[in-house]
Amino acid sequence: MAKPDEFKPDPPSENPKTEADDTDDENGDGGYEEEVEDTEEDELDEEEEDEPEPEPRVRTPQSAVRMQRAKLEGLFQRLQTQSVPLRVHDVLIKGNTKTKDYLIESEAALLKNCTTMQEILEVSRAVNFRLQALEVFDSVKITLDSGPPELPGTSNVIVEVQEAKSPLSGEIGAYTKAEARSSTVEGTLKFKNIFGHGDLWDGSFAYGWDHISELSAGVHFPRFRGSSFPLDVRAFLLSQDWLQFSSFKERSMGLSVALLSSRNHDLVYNLGWRTLTDPSQLASRSVRRQLGHSLLSSLKYTFKVDRRNSTLRPVRGYAFAATSQIAGLAPDSRCSRFLRQEVDLRYAIPLGILNSALNFGISGGIVFPWGAGFKNMPSPLPDRFFLGGNSSPISSLGGPTTVWGYRTRGLGPTESRRQLKSNDGDTEDAADPGVDFLGGDLAVTAFADLSLDFPLKWFRDRGIHGHIFASAGNLERLTQNAYKDFSLQKFVSSFRTSVGAGIVVPIQPFRLEVNYYYMMKKFEHDRGKPRFGVTFSM
Amino acid sequence: MEESRDGDWTLVARKPYFGLPTACPVCLPVYIYLKFARCPFNLEINSAYPDSDQIPYVEGGTYVAYNNEKGGVIQQLKQDGVVDLDSEFSSLPEWVSMKAMMSSWLADAITYELWLGSGENSAKQIYYSDLPWVIGKVLFVKQVYDVKQRFNISKQNAEKKEEEIYDRAKAAYRALSTMLGEQDFLFENRPTSLDADLVGHVLFTLKALPEDSVIRAALLEHGNLVRYAERHKNDFLTSGQSSASASNFQPPPSAAQASSSSKPKRKPKREKTEEEKSFQRKAKYFIGAQLVAVLLFLSLLGSSSKADLDEDDED
Repeated sequence: MAKPDEFKPDPPSENPKTEADDTDDENGDGGYEEEVEDTEEDELDEEEEDEPEPEPRVRTPQSAVRMQRAKLEGLFQRLQTQSVPLRVHDVLIKGNTKTKDYLIESEAALLKNCTTMQEILEVSRAVNFRLQALEVFDSVKITLDSGPPELPGTSNVIVEVQEAKSPLSGEIGAYTKAEARSSTVEGTLKFKNIFGHGDLWDGSFAYGWDHISELSAGVHFPRFRGSSFPLDVRAFLLSQDWLQFSSFKERSMGLSVALLSSRNHDLVYNLGWRTLTDPSQLASRSVRRQLGHSLLSSLKYTFKVDRRNSTLRPVRGYAFAATSQIAGLAPDSRCSRFLRQEVDLRYAIPLGILNSALNFGISGGIVFPWGAGFKNMPSPLPDRFFLGGNSSPISSLGGPTTVWGYRTRGLGPTESRRQLKSNDGDTEDAADPGVDFLGGDLAVTAFADLSLDFPLKWFRDRGIHGHIFASAGNLERLTQNAYKDFSLQKFVSSFRTSVGAGIVVPIQPFRLEVNYYYMMKKFEHDRGKPRFGVTFSM
Repeated sequence: MEESRDGDWTLVARKPYFGLPTACPVCLPVYIYLKFARCPFNLEINSAYPDSDQIPYVEGGTYVAYNNEKGGVIQQLKQDGVVDLDSEFSSLPEWVSMKAMMSSWLADAITYELWLGSGENSAKQIYYSDLPWVIGKVLFVKQVYDVKQRFNISKQNAEKKEEEIYDRAKAAYRALSTMLGEQDFLFENRPTSLDADLVGHVLFTLKALPEDSVIRAALLEHGNLVRYAERHKNDFLTSGQSSASASNFQPPPSAAQASSSSKPKRKPKREKTEEEKSFQRKAKYFIGAQLVAVLLFLSLLGSSSKADLDEDDED
């Protein structure tokens, strides 16, 4: 499900909507001149009260305008050179007929801590952005008014909202979800603010690159029971077709609850009924053993830090992500039980010539069952690691998934499928049924990528650049006592490697690569060969 | 779940219960048939897929005989030449009629009693006791609905359908009891798949169904059937794996080893057909066309932005 981006305060140059939108806002302060002027005038009036009253003078309209202008210029001068002390006495909410006051008040709570005019302007812009991000208002205006006369140096902030006329909206987009395994293209229908809590109800259909389709419905509460974190609850029906690669289809239905969602942290609880079937009836023995129903009750925590300048073409910075999942959180011991850990690290170093950069990345993951007899139990097939596919490891931070050049689920442990008898009844002469890719309990991938601009300006203007890369990856089984035969030396020596070069076309929010791949090292059943290919990532 | 590592035959069936090696009325006859054939096999249990029509299945190497293919596991094993106990009898009229009666009247009686009659608790124990409660509950309700649809049972005709099913079962018991007499087996004192079906049915009815079951009570009226089943249970089911002196079964085909360390024999590289070559050529043209379209789009986008900038400058 889409989640609003974590709030980032606008830079000072951007102006939220304010009551003074029509004024010529030369100084970029959001048009607060009139209200600030009133407050300043009150202060000036107070100062003038202490001085002996001068002789009244007759003012012409022109001189009045000149005086106003002088006062404004004086105010702007003070704003630019020194802090203008001003406190917020009260935040007044207007325009909400359906939306609960607490929602707007909690978003505007930061205003009450402001002590200067500049701070109020800055925070007002941020509050405006946050209220607009709730997607339940057509417009938001924040104005400053003078405070009560008995409290000098104070102001009242008026937040005027216009609730969305139409509660229904639709959109199509591309998303990367915390609880999903890949990016998806999604169509969504939304119902806004039905109960006045800023609630967003939606129904959506999504299709992912790796044979995933999902039908889901959910609700998003921006602040649940007064907490500062949003709450997302989704019911989903998900279907994945792996018949071609591993002779099984997966169907899941259940509930997903995002308990914590911020820029760096995500905590999601999933409760799902999962069914694996083999309509082809060609599955290998290991896959046949996994067919059937299971209950998945899991908690998944993701910590992500991305300090790269760009995810489409990182030139400098680093990114780190770690995902931990524990399944089996139910009183019923008959549900799936496993522990899963993924780690991603990316680093980009600028080289200074032709906007070139060196990108490094390493990803690793491990999954293991827990509970009585765990050493003899296999890990659940859908939760294992599979390597290969048409996505670029540069953009994604979703664990070990890709080795450039290898097709979807194209490397790792395999097992022969069921062999059907030929027409004359001889098994040996029957067509080769192929193999099932079984995935691994331990997976490691790594890559190095050198990107650089083309000499032609036409390419540089559009961000099209070239890159040369090398990648490696391997999978290994550890469960069912296979860990006893595990050898680090053997694991390292059996790494698959590939090299290549290509052109990268950044099309927001996608990264399109057209590459030529060459396999340096592959094994018998690996699905990879020297070829041209296209990857699509976001 | 025990793993079969020695390449022998493996029967995958549902869980044991009620003192039976497998408590599923569809799996038990297959188990007994393999025992009659003195075929060494391993038994593995699948408790996660109660609504699968593939189970039971017999596997050996890359060969698998599913229950939902070619008339069932036993029929498939016969057709594929793995084990055939019926070669001399399958064309006899008595054989065919008995087989039809068992696979229709008696099978329907067991199904009805298990899902719609007094055997509801037995069904839950056999099929859903190893699944999480929620899943088991939903699957049970779904199965009950499916059985009603299969028998076309409604509120108006429920009693009539029940009476019909029970009457047919009783008639089948009478016929089988008459035919068996006090013999050890139904035909020429040799075990056949018909004996496996009958022994499996009788044992399941006696052990798994509750005492107030109608068909259980009807079966108990035929003492020779009960004695026949108990005798074979003691001889074949409670003893250990039989030794492999067998003449009735073929060993499984050699299995290709799993995975990353071994290398199966190389097969000659297949020539690509004209169709595949043409498809690959078209795929390359398609990718090239997409790339050109993207570049064209970007260039048009760039030139229109430049035109807008020029207009702004003129203003």
